[in-house]
Amino acid sequence: MSNYYNMPKLPTENSPKVEIFVDDKAVMVPGDTNLLEALKAVGIETPHVCYHPYLPVSGNCRQCLVEQEGPRGRMLVISCYTPVAPGMKVYTPASSARVKNARKATQEFMLVNHPLDCPICDKAGECTLQENYMEAGQNEGRMRPEYGKNYHGNPEHQFIDAKGQLRGGKRVDIGPRIFLDEERCVQCDRCVRFMRSIAGDEQLQLAARADHTYITTFPGEKLDHEYDLCVTDVCPTGAMTAKYFRFQKRVWLLSHTPTVSMDDSLGANIWLDHADGKIYRMMPRCNPEVNRSWISNTTRLACLEFGKNRLPAIDMSAIKLEGKVAIVAGGECTIEDLAAIKMLAEKTGAEVFGGTFKKVGSPDGIAMSGDPMANRAGFKLMGLADDNLADLAKRASEFQTVIIVNNDVIGEGKGAADALKKIPNRIVLGAFDNETAKMATVAFGINHWSEVQGTMVNSLNMIQKLNAAPTAPDANLQPAYAVLSALAGTQFTSAFEAFKKAGEYASVLAGLSYDTIKSSGKLLEGGNA
Amino acid sequence: MAECVKVCTENFGKGAQDIEVYKKLGGYENISERLFNMSQFELIDYVQRSNLRGRGGAGFPTGMKWSFVPRGTGKPVYIVVNADEGEGGTFKDHFLMLEDPHRLIEGLIIAAWALGSRAAYIYCRGEFLPCIESLNKALNQAYAAGYLGENIMGTKFCFDIFVHRGAGAYICGEETALINSLEGQKGQPRLKPPFPAVSGAWKSPTCVNNVETIMALPWILKHDPSEYAKMGTPRAGGTKVFCISGDVKNPGVYEAPLGTPMMTMINDYAGGVVGGKLKAVLPGGSSCAPLTAEEAAVATMDYECLASMKTMFGSGAMIVINDTHNMVDLLNVLGNFYSHESCGQCTPCREGTGLLHRILNQIVAGNGHDGDVEFMQSLCGGFGGVTICPLSISLGGPVSSYSAKFRADFDEYIARNPDHAKPRVQENYRPGIFW
Repeated sequence: MSNYYNMPKLPTENSPKVEIFVDDKAVMVPGDTNLLEALKAVGIETPHVCYHPYLPVSGNCRQCLVEQEGPRGRMLVISCYTPVAPGMKVYTPASSARVKNARKATQEFMLVNHPLDCPICDKAGECTLQENYMEAGQNEGRMRPEYGKNYHGNPEHQFIDAKGQLRGGKRVDIGPRIFLDEERCVQCDRCVRFMRSIAGDEQLQLAARADHTYITTFPGEKLDHEYDLCVTDVCPTGAMTAKYFRFQKRVWLLSHTPTVSMDDSLGANIWLDHADGKIYRMMPRCNPEVNRSWISNTTRLACLEFGKNRLPAIDMSAIKLEGKVAIVAGGECTIEDLAAIKMLAEKTGAEVFGGTFKKVGSPDGIAMSGDPMANRAGFKLMGLADDNLADLAKRASEFQTVIIVNNDVIGEGKGAADALKKIPNRIVLGAFDNETAKMATVAFGINHWSEVQGTMVNSLNMIQKLNAAPTAPDANLQPAYAVLSALAGTQFTSAFEAFKKAGEYASVLAGLSYDTIKSSGKLLEGGNA
Repeated sequence: MAECVKVCTENFGKGAQDIEVYKKLGGYENISERLFNMSQFELIDYVQRSNLRGRGGAGFPTGMKWSFVPRGTGKPVYIVVNADEGEGGTFKDHFLMLEDPHRLIEGLIIAAWALGSRAAYIYCRGEFLPCIESLNKALNQAYAAGYLGENIMGTKFCFDIFVHRGAGAYICGEETALINSLEGQKGQPRLKPPFPAVSGAWKSPTCVNNVETIMALPWILKHDPSEYAKMGTPRAGGTKVFCISGDVKNPGVYEAPLGTPMMTMINDYAGGVVGGKLKAVLPGGSSCAPLTAEEAAVATMDYECLASMKTMFGSGAMIVINDTHNMVDLLNVLGNFYSHESCGQCTPCREGTGLLHRILNQIVAGNGHDGDVEFMQSLCGGFGGVTICPLSISLGGPVSSYSAKFRADFDEYIARNPDHAKPRVQENYRPGIFW
């Protein structure tokens, strides 16, 4: 397949509007995009399999056909590769039987060699083929057993099943995190394009041709990349499945909480998929400005640890502030937590330290900023120090009490342990029973960021909302801002109360509310996204 | 049979592989002051007036194609010669390159001057080893004689020709797949636009021409374009090299003017049908619709007449079939070929050609059922105009037309199944019921 395919142009808020005729009705659509996106903008969904807004257009599924009036009459064209032109005349299945039949035929072809193992397929429920079938097709199958299916697959993986049918490779171990089901693959080429154009490491290839085509890696190589689990997201069928989520839960039983990852200062937008109080998986949530449709494996696989090794909730009376107090805030503190910290510092005269001992890298241009201090921009906004932990280590003997909030200082920087042990009263507010919690005199369990409502400011200076997934292992756990504000004397009863308090410290936040911050975040003044 | 002017095949059998012989026969006379004094536009106008149409199958006017190549883009212009002759029944380019490689080189120099090109690639089918040897030998001679390389004939014009061996995929005869293959990528057609004339090989303007098209240029330049145009039909000038194969007495390569009656080709040139009576003729290679004996009697070999009979002129490869053959057998061979050669890019072609072949296999194996033919016909309805390249139609077209024109052959095969009237067993899943 040619490497020359170009990224689709997506409409933005500033796109010029042009008039086109859809089914002989004049509509205004964004003028600088492809027909598929333009039709979507006016509420007409076009079924597609290979097209993905953040991958180069390859136009091989032929599912998004529409009819276009051209110099040689009405022609079928693929809407994903047809640019919008003013005055163009387009016909969708609503008015054109030819389009309807062409899409039906393509759908039938796509299912010719696709196994009907939906009942045991992990993708069932969120499979593009199923969606297209339910929306547009629901046609009765015309395949008969005698015709036989020609399952796609590497000849080395093929086998003959009990009925004597030649089958393609099932459960092919294509990499350390992914299984490939060659039979289910519809050769949409998305994973190949993802690895080539987004990951920048062409590890996947379509081998062979015709209906023998199959996805493979280079001989002896494995699919192994920091972003390789994204191919399971872009896969429209159950061909690429993540080992960590395979057979864990039917997807229609999952609830989805839109939130933001505090793994990294880019704040990748994510869905937390959970059921019965347990997080089963993390999926990228599309945000064109931030992480598009991608999240890294580090961000994603961390979700499996959120419920494990947690600190228990204990009674507030265990926390006693004696002498001079230092508060050490970590990057996972939300704006609300920082507001409470600031309030507590004002109340008790405590000094606030912040930062991380982890190595700060550089952005990878996909979905990682490289900075492990997630809310660093938020610290700056609130006027808090974001990089003075070394200072604390030097001056440890000045303090009698230290409150460590959401910061694994000991785990990250071993040298800090000796210094911090000089402080007699060590209070740790954290989600996990990590090394910092182990050296604490009081280890106080709080909610993890996945379980709290709040906001964070990412490295692009966008304020983004976190939503609480109902996955806290213990109902008595409280968010950090609640505990800290209680210590300061006036407990915040809601995240928004804390956010309003933050508005007093940082003027740019003052006019905002959770409703005015969209789900895709809001660029703060002076931002440079 | 009137003696016709030979444009491309005049040196056949005269040992023109050698440059001295070729020059004695009047070769390389065009590579002279006269050519280098012509402007690019004059030369393109010359070709346009000759009414030369592409000989690869699509029949696109060559002069017009050249005029689409943008000038002054700062990018080099490439000429690619499509010598990846893969269509069933076509073998003219093979003989043209084998017998007269210098004419191709001479034609390419003319084309390069017209397009301002610095380099040309001859994408030759990998199996044509003798051709490649013949071409390389001729190229060495032409370089030695100063017709190629730096400063040709003392001018500032420089031009190189490279022979590229394909790896034997039928689809690499499609121009964008050919360019992909030439670049070292998988031979799969590209989305159009951009067309190769604007952005082809290495994203540069590229002109892809058939071997025979290029080989007609020396004659046109030496004589007059109007003389060439006069030989053919009003809309397509010149002669055509036909490949006649199948049940004829003398199968082979014949050059004749466009518009020659089909029966003249079969009877006078190829010596008539052998082994039985004429049943069908495929006029333009394996992917075109067949003509019955009655239709063949009135058909003439040119683009317009064959298009009006709902088939195509294609590459001029006539396959003559006598009445001892069952058309289903032929179609099964085509099914095997096209389902194997589908590049696997577009869904309808990738899955559909294989399914058609499996149904044909069932019919040939004696497991045909009533309704199979209608099922195949309706599947072919899903091919029309929906894929990137026309390979799906190359099988879909024959399936539709064979079954329409020779239905009796299909019924004969299906009748061999004693249970043919029973419907095929329905699989026990019917999603419509459960969901």
